[in-house]
Amino acid sequence: MKEPNNKRGANILWNVFSSMKLTLALLIILAITSLFGTLIPQQQEAVRFAQGLSPRLHQFFELLGLFDLYHSLWFRAIIGLLALNLVICSVNRLPTTLKLFRAPSRPDRSKPFEDLPPQRNFLVERGIEDVGNRVADFLRNQYGRIVSKSTPEKNYLYAEKGRYSYFGVYLVHFSILLVLIGGVIGSVFGFNAYVNILEGDTVDSIILTKDMTSKRLGFSVFCEKFNVDYYDNGSPKEFRSDLGFLVEGKLAKKASLLMNRPITFGGITFYQSSYGSIPGKAYLSVQKEGSDLVESIVRVEIGDTFSLPGSESQIQVVNAVSNLNEMMGPAALISVKSREGEEIRFWVFQNIEKLRNQYPEAMFQAPRMNPSSFKPYTFFLKELESRFYTGLQANKNPGVSLVWFGCVVMVAGFFMTFFTSHRKIWVRILRSTDETKISVAGRTNRNPLTLEKELDLVTSQLHKLLD
Amino acid sequence: MINSVILSYTTFVYFASFMLYLLMMVMGKDVFGRLASILTIGALIAHTSAIILRWIESYQFDMGHAPFSNFYESLIFFAWAVVLLYVLIEWRTKNRSIGTFASLLAVLIMAYASFSGVDSRIQPLIPVLKSNWLITHVITCFIGYAAFGIAFCLSLMYLLKKVDDPKRKGILLKTIPDSDILEELNYQVIIIGFVLLTLGIITGSVWAHSAWGRYWGWDPKETWSLITWLVYAAVLHSRMMRGWRGKKMAILSMIGFFCVIFTYLGVNFILSGLHSYAT
Repeated sequence: MKEPNNKRGANILWNVFSSMKLTLALLIILAITSLFGTLIPQQQEAVRFAQGLSPRLHQFFELLGLFDLYHSLWFRAIIGLLALNLVICSVNRLPTTLKLFRAPSRPDRSKPFEDLPPQRNFLVERGIEDVGNRVADFLRNQYGRIVSKSTPEKNYLYAEKGRYSYFGVYLVHFSILLVLIGGVIGSVFGFNAYVNILEGDTVDSIILTKDMTSKRLGFSVFCEKFNVDYYDNGSPKEFRSDLGFLVEGKLAKKASLLMNRPITFGGITFYQSSYGSIPGKAYLSVQKEGSDLVESIVRVEIGDTFSLPGSESQIQVVNAVSNLNEMMGPAALISVKSREGEEIRFWVFQNIEKLRNQYPEAMFQAPRMNPSSFKPYTFFLKELESRFYTGLQANKNPGVSLVWFGCVVMVAGFFMTFFTSHRKIWVRILRSTDETKISVAGRTNRNPLTLEKELDLVTSQLHKLLD
Repeated sequence: MINSVILSYTTFVYFASFMLYLLMMVMGKDVFGRLASILTIGALIAHTSAIILRWIESYQFDMGHAPFSNFYESLIFFAWAVVLLYVLIEWRTKNRSIGTFASLLAVLIMAYASFSGVDSRIQPLIPVLKSNWLITHVITCFIGYAAFGIAFCLSLMYLLKKVDDPKRKGILLKTIPDSDILEELNYQVIIIGFVLLTLGIITGSVWAHSAWGRYWGWDPKETWSLITWLVYAAVLHSRMMRGWRGKKMAILSMIGFFCVIFTYLGVNFILSGLHSYAT
């Protein structure tokens, strides 16, 4: 008989996807491709690595999505194929499993009693009926339901445990689907974002990690204080942000955010993620040339403007950094605008004495580096205060409970698959001349050693019971 | 610190048991094996008490936490789990030849902890480690790793047994159980490892979700644990395929253990990531 072509095609496809070989291949492929992702710098770290590549190689990497391998289409496709393989394998096996599960109990089988080790047989001086009743009571007590079949000469009793164990493997595979679906729900309907809040500041939007766009919260978050505790050896003990959540300007919740102790508000969960500081007020002093007297001392924020007595020029702190060029320490950029509109800009350093010893003098003659550029004054940066900010993760993931549910199902499935088995136990009672012979046999679908132990136990318990 | 002193003596006792197990295999005399078992159990008791003492000492230094918080402590616990699992297997199977390999593995781990500039001081917990998940995560992961370590030993023994020429009857290999028994045992141990690795990954995910706001972030440690999980998943499935039992399974199981070692050490020292406190 010849099958129609399309049906045969579908059959071949079905066979491919229901094969264990494909499972094995996909598991190994997924392992190897995941491995590449740990060798090639990913996402943010990829930027520097990418610069070192030749343009063609760069293009190749870009095309294959190797800079964000785990989110690339082809990587997701492999996971998708594995999921499909898993579903089709399960569907394919289900009829066989159901047959095993529904298989009727047959008490009078002789096959399990072939090659029975001698210690599984014993003789007692009791009548076959008496023995039959006692064994039946015992088995009913241990295994619940029993099935029996008896003739005056022979009495067969059958009991079993763990029929459900056939479904453990389905539970495990189903749980993997649950985890994957939870992951998809999370990535479609959820988001990851972050926000930095300066001490004393309030924010009402967060920045999405995905595309760096801003997202409004619908409420606002106020950071009262950020605090780091240290141990005696200098390592950090606790990061704590004292936060307030405000709805329409009114305080709705006040809480301290700690690492490992996220706070959920308005459907968004906040995590203590990082911290840092930005330059705060600059503490400047100004001296006039040829005089030891300090002309003026000011404490100003970045952007603030001031003027010196007896001078009409406007002085502004345009910028301040805690470590200029990552080696010159705290510095403030000063802009001086004369009344005519002329502007000069120069850096003022906190560690000027140290820097003058470290670097050639000529460097500080350059107008931009010379704190005396605005004649006849010399500027000194006494101190640069810093303002702490707390870095928060702000995430929403509606798929996460499904993932946890999947994990619980997976663990339950493992226990069913690996540590339970369908154990069938037969007891045969034979009448011989003036004694009764009892034999105990069994079959199992896995863990044969466990069954052997169980049969030994049953035999010895029966022996004690009937002696 | 008294715990470090006990642990260094323990290392020597494990080495002594390794020598005795080896002697048993070479000489074919059971008396060495019995002696080795006694030494191993004694050392395991000392090892256990050292871990408990270290826990108590951490409270005396006023930073009380379970001794699972840095690289040194993880090595000590790893070796402890290897020996514990081995002792259980010896008790169940009544075969001591696995002891040669398992005790050597324990000696290597303990020696690594004591020689190679691994900081053995008790350190206070940094904020990210302050979680109820620390203990369950570390225990499940490392008992899982230990099971895979034992499976590696069993696979190695299986392959040794296979190359043994039946006519020559190498003395060393006589004490090793039959390949069928080895294979079944290997499978059982891999199951224990796989279940515990899964629990380790799950507890790690739950923890990562509360610490960093995501349960999975493709951090190198996470990715390598997944790679290990995939390889052992392949091992478990391969048993159901014709022609994949035996040698191929043993080799795949050994590859799996290399993945375990890379997840544990390679990621810490070669790749960087969020698990750097474990170095």
